[in-house]
Amino acid sequence: MKTKTESKRQAIIQAAAEVFREVGFDRASMSDIRERIGGSKATLYNYFPSKEKLFFEVMHHAKEVELEAITSELDADAKDLRRELVRFGQKFMTVLYSADAIAVRRLAIAESRHSDIGKLSFEQATVPIENQVAEFLRKVMKRGALRTADPKIAAMHLLSLLESEFLQRVLLGVIDSVKPEALGGAVRRAMDVFLSGYERR
Amino acid sequence: MSKSDSKRQAILENAYRLFRAQGFDGTSMADITSQVGGSKATLYSHFPSKEELFVECMMAALENYMSDTLTHLDASWSDPEAALRNFGTSVLNFICSSEQVEVRRLMIAEAARSGTGKLFFDKISALRSQISSFLAVCMASGLLRRDDPDLAADHLGALLEAEILEPLLLHVREAAPDEEETAHAARRAVAAFLRAYAPTAPSIKAAAAS
Repeated sequence: MKTKTESKRQAIIQAAAEVFREVGFDRASMSDIRERIGGSKATLYNYFPSKEKLFFEVMHHAKEVELEAITSELDADAKDLRRELVRFGQKFMTVLYSADAIAVRRLAIAESRHSDIGKLSFEQATVPIENQVAEFLRKVMKRGALRTADPKIAAMHLLSLLESEFLQRVLLGVIDSVKPEALGGAVRRAMDVFLSGYERR
Repeated sequence: MSKSDSKRQAILENAYRLFRAQGFDGTSMADITSQVGGSKATLYSHFPSKEELFVECMMAALENYMSDTLTHLDASWSDPEAALRNFGTSVLNFICSSEQVEVRRLMIAEAARSGTGKLFFDKISALRSQISSFLAVCMASGLLRRDDPDLAADHLGALLEAEILEPLLLHVREAAPDEEETAHAARRAVAAFLRAYAPTAPSIKAAAAS
């Protein structure tokens, strides 16, 4: 077996991203991807054992980087906490509910029994994002703008509330994406519930 | 149970087992008939399509559970906070059970492929509307502030699932949580929910409009 190289790996990811974008996950095949980069099917499979793994690598990584960047912008010292949360929620949900991110998420759940992509998704996206939000909330609680509670639990409540009006429909494929302008009301309602659930009395 | 009911029950049980073992695509109506016995015509007289049969048998446990639990909810009026906490714990125990997690995963996996997503969603919405009705009664009697009960049911559900469901769905965690863990999660979720929907809390709709 030849040694794997990072440049070859990147070339495969690049080609796969193009194919997935052009024909979608279901119609894309490993042969289509191999044709773009040349080389043997064995080489391709040596890098990525299945179409699912490749799709996950291509889509998941991009979304994960974007979501973490949005989360890291949360400013615990923002004067208007509600405004800061709504701003965050709107940007976060716009990425999370794009068609690609929804597809990769359904795939992670569907395939989690047969491969480790569910675990990867949880460890590389869910946990770091929850921790970032928790760290933000810990600071907000410390400065007295929210009641003192376990910041990690509060972070999970916040993130779950953001999705509350859509998650079921999205996971069941009733809708394939949500337009950013349709998110605004749900984000504001979720953040109001979060704030009144965690405000100091 | 009439003869027709017991036939229906036998179809549901066998179909459930086959779908879970072989998936939606890997199971045909003929497979189910050969397990249950009888003719294909009988099978179709109970369930007009494989999609409807799939949804019915995946949702059967949930429907039974909900009708039991919701009756119980109506009965416990003296302490609505305790009622919601018990309800929340019970819901979590049910949805986090290994079998229900597997059903949910299968539903999500098959929804887009087989076009059953909308059927599932309609069923789930019908069940959720029963929780909305309970919350509407709480709102009418002044235990919760007046707001959209469907929205409140979405928020309550999201808070309940927040701590536990995702690692189970993604197979990061194998074992279902024990009663103590679900009781803690439900207590925290209901506490946040009741603060947000207390009669003295500001209206979400009014605040959202600003």
